[in-house]
Amino acid sequence: MERLVIEPRPDWRAHVEHDLGFVFHTIDGKPYWDETACYRFEAEQIDEIEEATRELEQLALDLVDRVVQQGPEAYGRLRIPEAAWPAIEGSWRGQEKNLYGRFDLRYDGEAPPKLLEYNADTPTALFEAAVVQWDWLQAVKPEADQFNSIHERLIEAWKNFDILRERVYFSAVKDHAEDNGTIEYLRDTATQAGIDSARIAVEEIGWDGKQFLDLENRRIGVLFKLYPWEWLLGEAFGPHLLKGVVRVVEPPWKMILSNKAALALLWELAPGHPNLLPASLEQPNEIEGTVVRKPIYSREGANLQVLEGGRVVTETPGGYGAEGFVYQQYVELPSFGGNYPVVGSWVVASQPAGMGLREDTTPITRDTSRFVPHFFE
Amino acid sequence: MRKSRSIRLVLLGSAGIALAACGEDPLPPDAKFFTDTNECSAAFPTEACQQATAEAQKAAETEAPRFSRKEQCEAEFGVGNCETRQTAGGGSYFMPLLMGYMMGNMMGGNRFAAPVFRGPNNTAVLPNRGQMFNVGRFGATAAGRPAFQPASQVTAVSRGGFGSTAQAYRSGSGS
Repeated sequence: MERLVIEPRPDWRAHVEHDLGFVFHTIDGKPYWDETACYRFEAEQIDEIEEATRELEQLALDLVDRVVQQGPEAYGRLRIPEAAWPAIEGSWRGQEKNLYGRFDLRYDGEAPPKLLEYNADTPTALFEAAVVQWDWLQAVKPEADQFNSIHERLIEAWKNFDILRERVYFSAVKDHAEDNGTIEYLRDTATQAGIDSARIAVEEIGWDGKQFLDLENRRIGVLFKLYPWEWLLGEAFGPHLLKGVVRVVEPPWKMILSNKAALALLWELAPGHPNLLPASLEQPNEIEGTVVRKPIYSREGANLQVLEGGRVVTETPGGYGAEGFVYQQYVELPSFGGNYPVVGSWVVASQPAGMGLREDTTPITRDTSRFVPHFFE
Repeated sequence: MRKSRSIRLVLLGSAGIALAACGEDPLPPDAKFFTDTNECSAAFPTEACQQATAEAQKAAETEAPRFSRKEQCEAEFGVGNCETRQTAGGGSYFMPLLMGYMMGNMMGGNRFAAPVFRGPNNTAVLPNRGQMFNVGRFGATAAGRPAFQPASQVTAVSRGGFGSTAQAYRSGSGS
């Protein structure tokens, strides 16, 4: 694994905007898509990441099964409200399919990949990984390979969803270019799988007392939401989502995994697993060395504390943390010339599908991080 | 090879296509509108009218659109046409006033009864399967064969019940 500084394609902005419809390559005036560098991997390293991803997904599914069987005590530790339990169990026992997820891994090319967190419910950076870096590779290094069959697998996954006769509504918050770009890409893959689809902002979803409706008052039967389950359930229409009148993707059982308390439960399920870091909800003192405290519900590196012997040495701002925290052993991200990459390893329909790297100039990845393409030989 | 063999985009980029939307059929126009049981009794047996009144009142509770603010409700149904209600949990909401009901015989002999709300400019507004229909006007001749027309100015539903958390955090939702 090495980081190469390279010459960007001179016309890349116009090209990705016009030909790919990639409009959020620059966010708040700062580069997000960054092709002034790329990462090169060995095939064996890709094998290792792929295998770790396969194992982590299996562990995650085992954890869902265990939580559903344990019931109230486990839900309580995950801070999942009681109103959601029947929907979680119903969707798990009914084998409702899931589409995708992204494991964020610490990887330096030598030590085993370590799970930092699992974005199981609302992962983004998908279009960049699936299409934009593939397109970059075809233009810049077509003879090389890339760990990335995300696009093909998404289309295949939609075909296997048992929703072919229903229109799928893709929903995200209004006026957010990145989220809306992500759902438009997912809608593209669903369309190629033969699924009828439409868009609606989460703010525009209607409720008539019996069912959810689009802006023309047509029933919403299937809702793909790029909006966290725990947010939905806390809002005015939240209780209606649990009445069984709408099929939701990701399914309710993903609530068990989208929550950082799951990191501690995974460690309990497989203590010492080479791809897991020690983590605990109640006993941070039992974790060796430096510890990072993460809010159970949070996004984009908000409200983190790095603790040494109980003393806060680094802290990030944010408004999260009301539901409590999980403690995880802190491992610094590897530095490649002052850049700290995180490997985002994708599963589609619970199968390893590819990866995308985001790097930042600090060891904590924030929403200012840059997406950098990769290849392997 | 572990990269995608080919990638085609059908919505994004220069190859985007547009999808056409299609509408849904409104109710079959086979019903009459009454403001109370007396009016109804002139056309149907009194007992059936009483039953229809009760059914319509019950249906109004579930089919009436609910609004968190009075202004939202009045924007849809007109000033003075909304009332406040309490939820079991102690909260409150606004819904349009029930002004009467629609009754008639369906094909196959079943009776049809539905609540009617007062809409803007004295229009009579009927909810059905999440859609709202203009079914005539309140006035001197209340009873009569209605013309079913989808109500353009009235939406059947409350909206804005999702999205507040993202707004509070001023962020997107993906991670």
